[in-house]
Amino acid sequence: MIGQLILNGFINAALLAPPAVAFTILFGILKFPNFAIGAYVTVGAFAAFAVNVQLGLPIWVAVVGAMAAGAAVAWLSDALVFKPLRGHAPVTLLVVSIAVAFILEQCVRLFYGGNVRGFDLALERPMRLWGLRITKEQLEILVISAVITLLVHLLLTYTAVGKAMRATADNPGLAEVRGIPHRRIAVFTWLLCGAIFGLSGFLAGLDLVIEPHIGWNLTIPIFAAAILGGIGSAGGALLGAILVGIAEELTVLVLPTTYKVAVGFLIITILLLFRPHGLFGQAEIKK
Amino acid sequence: MSNDAPLRIEGLRAGYGQADIVHGVSLSVARAEMVTIIGPNGAGKSTLLKAAAGAVRPRPGSSVTVAGREVAGLPASEIARAGVAYVPQEANVFRSLSVRENLELGAWSDRRRIADGLARVHAIFPVLSERAGARAGLLSGGQRQMVAFAMALMLEPAVLLLDEPSAGLSPVMVDQMFEAIIAVNRTGVAILMVEQNAVQALKISNRGVVMAAGAVAATGTAADLLADRSVAELYLGAAR
Ligand SMILES: Nc1ncnc2c1ncn2[C@@H]1O[C@H](COP(=O)(O)OP(=O)(O)O)[C@@H](O)[C@H]1O
Ligand SMILES: [Mg+2]
Repeated sequence: MIGQLILNGFINAALLAPPAVAFTILFGILKFPNFAIGAYVTVGAFAAFAVNVQLGLPIWVAVVGAMAAGAAVAWLSDALVFKPLRGHAPVTLLVVSIAVAFILEQCVRLFYGGNVRGFDLALERPMRLWGLRITKEQLEILVISAVITLLVHLLLTYTAVGKAMRATADNPGLAEVRGIPHRRIAVFTWLLCGAIFGLSGFLAGLDLVIEPHIGWNLTIPIFAAAILGGIGSAGGALLGAILVGIAEELTVLVLPTTYKVAVGFLIITILLLFRPHGLFGQAEIKK
Repeated sequence: MSNDAPLRIEGLRAGYGQADIVHGVSLSVARAEMVTIIGPNGAGKSTLLKAAAGAVRPRPGSSVTVAGREVAGLPASEIARAGVAYVPQEANVFRSLSVRENLELGAWSDRRRIADGLARVHAIFPVLSERAGARAGLLSGGQRQMVAFAMALMLEPAVLLLDEPSAGLSPVMVDQMFEAIIAVNRTGVAILMVEQNAVQALKISNRGVVMAAGAVAATGTAADLLADRSVAELYLGAAR
């Protein structure tokens, strides 16, 4: 029983880790918490659905479609909304990002309504590994999530653009005077993180059902994971995702499943109580 | 001075928000020349350097030319690519990155030159090669200042803008830093430096500029300024 819950927790964590890492990277470069990330996830899920079910293309094409769609909406939301508002207070951008989230979600509803959908996949029996149940889809989620998280780690650690991203997050003014153009790094970051959110939509659709709230339901646990890991740290976000993922599953031992979503809120609340500056502490200390 | 001096600033005005801090400063620095700006706190010395580097946008009508090319109003990253390396007084390293990564980032816009740049700055500051893996934020103040300066040297800039490179350093470290600055200057780099350590800085400079209340109050050869009684009383005494 507990083994199964912990395995489920890791699958949950595998869904949370890539978007939590992407959220924290985006925050590091753009310096505001973007509540529209859940909507990017939703767009990714439906793009994958459109490619796989409506166009009848293979599932790996759907993965590419989800990433492309996520990157496109993230970049567009920057070009049309966030970039023109650059220089405004983080809290202003936060509120605007909530509006962006609603607009994107309503666009999805416009085309797909509120119905529940799924990918075109053959149903298979769950496999048994050491007495634990795991579906083929869940195994794929674990592998894809681990690979993407590793790739992001390698990008940040070893590539020129990754080092420039870390430098820009660390000290944007200095990065600019050292010849690292902030705008180019920001655009790359939007595209990269958008692609990761889109992929997360595909993974979530693989595990759950595809519906317009799919991304919004992930937003709070993603925030909890990123804050838990110390916002701005990609490695921390990964660790945070594992903790939140497992904590969510373990609550079913004591509470009905519907309370699972409360875990993210609870973690955020506790963190904010003990770190009064919370999410915005960093931005304010800069002054 | 010919029109294509490495750095020429004319009628430069700059400030924060609505308020102007620098009110129309003109000066130029020739190849291999070292010019030191002194003046009381709040005179606008740092703001002048920031504006020249593009870290603060100069007001319209200001002119900053780099080897004859107008750069006023360009993004700081482009001014850097034009050969101007600005070292801020504070927050001048990437604290969460290693020494080695900091230095590499100094050559980000021309990465083929990383190996050559590393060899050059390690020859100037051997300790940076020993501490390559250390986080820059954990270094001593002196070593951090070395990283900041070395990062600016990675792409062999034509112009160096240094904001108080000796601030907060021990006397021994100050000497070492000034020696490094002299050595770089001798390779032909035009240097515009702000210093509180006025006497020591003027002694190694060709010319000095005294700034007060956002404008040039006096200018002359370093020897003249050091000999000038009113300058000495106003600005050198306090800094001694
Ligand atoms: N980021 C800033 N925002 C607003 N005012 C500033 C800022 N930086 C400096 N100032 C103001 O500009 C004036 C000149 O500062 P500065 O150029 O740093 O002088 P100096 O380097 O000669 O001591 C000071 O009155 C200072 O308060
Ligand atoms: Mg200053």
